[in-house]
Amino acid sequence: MKGGAIIWRVASFAVAAGFIALWQLVANWKLVSPVFLPGPDRAWASLLRGFSSGDLWSKLIGTLEHMAYGWLAASIAGIAIGAMIGSSRPMRTYVAPSLEFLRPLPVSAIIPVAIAAFGLTQGMALLVIAFGAIWPIMLATIHGFAAVEPRLYEVARSLQMSRLAVIFKIALPSASPDILAGMRLSLTVALILSVVCEILAGLDGLGHWVLLSARAFRSADLFAGVILLGVTGYVTSVAMSLAERRLLAWQASQR
Amino acid sequence: MTLDRAKPLMLPIGALLAFEGWARATHLQSDSLAPPSEIVAALAGALADHSILAATRDTLFATFAGLAIGSFIGLALGIAFGISDTLDRLMEVTVEAVRPVPSIALLPIALIALGFGYRMEIVIVAFACIWPILILSRAAVRSVEPRLMEVSRVLRLPAAQRVLKIIIPAALPRIFVAFRLSAGIALIVAVTVEIAINPLGLGAGIMLAQQALRPDLMLAYLVWIGAIGYALNMLLTVAQRRLFGRAALSGDSL
Amino acid sequence: MAIAAKRQEASVSPLAAPQLAFADATLALGGKTIIENLNLGVRPGEFLCIVGASGCGKTTALRLAAGLYQPTSGAVTFDGQPMLQPRREIAIVFQDYGKALLPWRTAAGNVSLALEAGGISVTERPARIDALLRKVGLPGHAEKYPAEMSGGMQQRLQIARCLAQEPKALLMDEPFGALDAMTRQGLQDEVLSLVAASNATVIFVTHDLDEAIYLGDRVVGLLPHPGRIGIELAVNLPRPRDQLATREHPEFLRLRRQLFDFIKATEQ
Repeated sequence: MKGGAIIWRVASFAVAAGFIALWQLVANWKLVSPVFLPGPDRAWASLLRGFSSGDLWSKLIGTLEHMAYGWLAASIAGIAIGAMIGSSRPMRTYVAPSLEFLRPLPVSAIIPVAIAAFGLTQGMALLVIAFGAIWPIMLATIHGFAAVEPRLYEVARSLQMSRLAVIFKIALPSASPDILAGMRLSLTVALILSVVCEILAGLDGLGHWVLLSARAFRSADLFAGVILLGVTGYVTSVAMSLAERRLLAWQASQR
Repeated sequence: MTLDRAKPLMLPIGALLAFEGWARATHLQSDSLAPPSEIVAALAGALADHSILAATRDTLFATFAGLAIGSFIGLALGIAFGISDTLDRLMEVTVEAVRPVPSIALLPIALIALGFGYRMEIVIVAFACIWPILILSRAAVRSVEPRLMEVSRVLRLPAAQRVLKIIIPAALPRIFVAFRLSAGIALIVAVTVEIAINPLGLGAGIMLAQQALRPDLMLAYLVWIGAIGYALNMLLTVAQRRLFGRAALSGDSL
Repeated sequence: MAIAAKRQEASVSPLAAPQLAFADATLALGGKTIIENLNLGVRPGEFLCIVGASGCGKTTALRLAAGLYQPTSGAVTFDGQPMLQPRREIAIVFQDYGKALLPWRTAAGNVSLALEAGGISVTERPARIDALLRKVGLPGHAEKYPAEMSGGMQQRLQIARCLAQEPKALLMDEPFGALDAMTRQGLQDEVLSLVAASNATVIFVTHDLDEAIYLGDRVVGLLPHPGRIGIELAVNLPRPRDQLATREHPEFLRLRRQLFDFIKATEQ
């Protein structure tokens, strides 16, 4: 069985390699103008060049920083506020519906408001990223807190646990699958908003890099940037999966 | 009962009144904030001169065109991957390599290839919509009751008929959930593209209002965009309930 | 044997003041009276079983005793003090063990929860957890998650957590209702020996009449709508009890008949 999985994996990589070869052929035969579509060879060369000169490194780190700070701030605030609302019945009655109402709001629409208030600054970007990323986390936390098995609260009562102990030992772990799912969604939101803010505010990062490359019709650099953004999305989501698997090991045994 | 229904409204109404009062008391002068009364007035004005309606039409056109294209591609791939395990396994690496590219990163590529306008926006929206539809419809097809598949085999239905008569109808409730989620994503991506770069629709409208230092109009756009997002979600949720009953909503967890 | 003899003595002494007492306790929920004027005292170290048709309020009575509910009128007292909220020296074993255990904690972690709540220091906990798991027959399962355990093991784990509270009173709500017959008999004997060793007062709710007589020093049958006492039987069967000998004892059969007739009458 395990050997079979490896063979499938290899075959799957071969297919992906086939697509890259096809892309190379399309580029070589100039089926699409090289101004728009560089071959994978040129994109790869640009990636290497960018990293050896250090240009791309600093852009990558810029984007990662925007994303990480915004996401972390959103996670902390989202879990704290979500826990506060989710663990109190009056808050759930009075506040939660307003939040649910705001959920379908396209968060990027607050970018102009943030620009008006804070200008084209790093602070504006972090605020927008955090604001966008907080929703899935906060709503998932509220939901997770509201869905805690009532029997566990009774166990906590008969053990005379303090309110703080109940939150940390019962409610938070019980809500953790929801919270982590929310954090995973937010990771994607944070990456997208980082790119948008970099494009709009000209902040140091991959978003700005791809835009400048496009303006200058340096398609190889442009594709290098896009590939790097794809890798960023992939690596962060894999890291999140690993964290989830570790933290939720107890869930695997439940199925 | 009426009191219970009013409870969720108390916070937003209270906040609006407090803000209005505060803005009046301090004679608020700001580039980013405006009292609710002025926002309402600006919204009424933009509705009266049809500017916000035209922008809405542009945004929704790009949203739905992208959604349609993305749904079609995502559904075709999702059904194919759901039926054929071989195909799914062979394409796994390719899909996993392309999927995490944030849709907005394609913006510069679409920009130099297609220029400003509907086309580039539609392409980006479509790209964003493919993935949720693909993944959820693949899961939906896989979870089609195996008995039904056996029935189709016993009846010796040809592949195309099997897809049309058995698989799609059986998986439809869950596919619709995917469609509803994608519609939300489509709107968000469309507005984001407009805010970032494309000079059309609601996103461009709100950016213009900001640059013109019209906070009332800017916030009117914000409220309007929120209302459109809410209405779209509401409409599709109601449609889903009508078409497939309440049971379909349980498949909501992503 | 010595322990059993001591218990026997405690249970027959009618003079001992009740440790847990319902005094005219009435409970109404949502306009419906579930328990009405319940008067019942449980002596220290006594094993009291409550039986009754479903919906007679036996679980509710137990929750009153646990302090999870407050009586609408009357009082529930423990050591003479009114029960205004749950307290750690009264442990409750819920019927639905699957919901009452923390799925994200291992067996050891679940026992630890009670120790943490009781303020037992970190250094002391491992030894205590080990001893408790051994006591309930779960040595070697410390690192398993509840979901990896059978129903019987999960219920043992819940009992271990309750014992970790070092309770003066143990309240058990149909703890073996969801288990198969063999597991159930094994657990009945284990509960008897655990209780004998800890000398805790027990209120045991069950719908199984044989189980009630087999375990109890006294059996109380409740009448439904609203719940009130319908019958009270002293069980004068020798301890330690034995699955075969006790169940064949003429006294057992007499009590069984009496209870059976009572339940049958309430259901008409």
